[in-house]
Amino acid sequence: MAKVMVVDDAAFMRLRACKVLQDNGHEVVQAENGADAVRQYSEHRPDAVLLDITMPEMDGIAALKEIKKLDPGARVAMVTAMGQQAIVMEALRAGAKDFVLKPFQPDRVLGALQKLLA
Amino acid sequence: MRTEFINPFLQAATEVLGSELGSVPQRGTIGLQRSAYTSDEVTAVVAVTGGVAGMVIFAMAEQTARAVVSKMLGQDFPTFDALAQSGIAEIGNVITGRAAVLLSEAGYPSDLAPPMLVLGRDTMISTLDVQRLVIPLETEFGKIEIQVALKLAAAPARRAA
Repeated sequence: MAKVMVVDDAAFMRLRACKVLQDNGHEVVQAENGADAVRQYSEHRPDAVLLDITMPEMDGIAALKEIKKLDPGARVAMVTAMGQQAIVMEALRAGAKDFVLKPFQPDRVLGALQKLLA
Repeated sequence: MRTEFINPFLQAATEVLGSELGSVPQRGTIGLQRSAYTSDEVTAVVAVTGGVAGMVIFAMAEQTARAVVSKMLGQDFPTFDALAQSGIAEIGNVITGRAAVLLSEAGYPSDLAPPMLVLGRDTMISTLDVQRLVIPLETEFGKIEIQVALKLAAAPARRAA
């Protein structure tokens, strides 16, 4: 079982990811934007992060870079709309280990988590 | 309204709704409208800026909206509460985002503004001189109508053939 932080500005999408993770026995921390994610990462030190890209205040790429400054070993997967290849490549260069496409399927979320925790 | 704007939205809506609802929606007759849009019970609006600009509207009955988010989250929504509203807004956001990627690949790069919701029937939304492309989709949960009101904002960076 892992502690996973779910970061998305859409409450519905956060809850959806949380349900999938909690139903599979994981502990979940929620953050509603990039700045919140950085604060909560510092406080909770989750084992893995599912990080939306397009968010207000601080977007996912900026949050990823801040989280990596806090913890270079942070294990982060980006959550992105289909086809945002350029942004995904930027995230991978900035240290993201994987990405999950929206609309996401439960198996894909769990698969990404497994990859992060491997 | 350029006809090449049709397929990105049709493809995006079919893919996203098919994935989220577990069955591919049936497309009705596509049409063009110029008069002001009159809202349905639930209307998600996503503004588009960039190479093409305007708005995309997703309209449905509240019963359809509640059924859609119930299916997506696996729990009943007896009322169309804030969480359900977030879910419908996100559906509009994901479909428009996917369509924007397809438009970008066709040489019309664009960005999205955060989605908004209009709740309640009969609110009039004018797209002024921009015609609306109307794409009716029949899902197993009821009709979802997509209205695309976009115009070319600048000379597109068309890809070389």
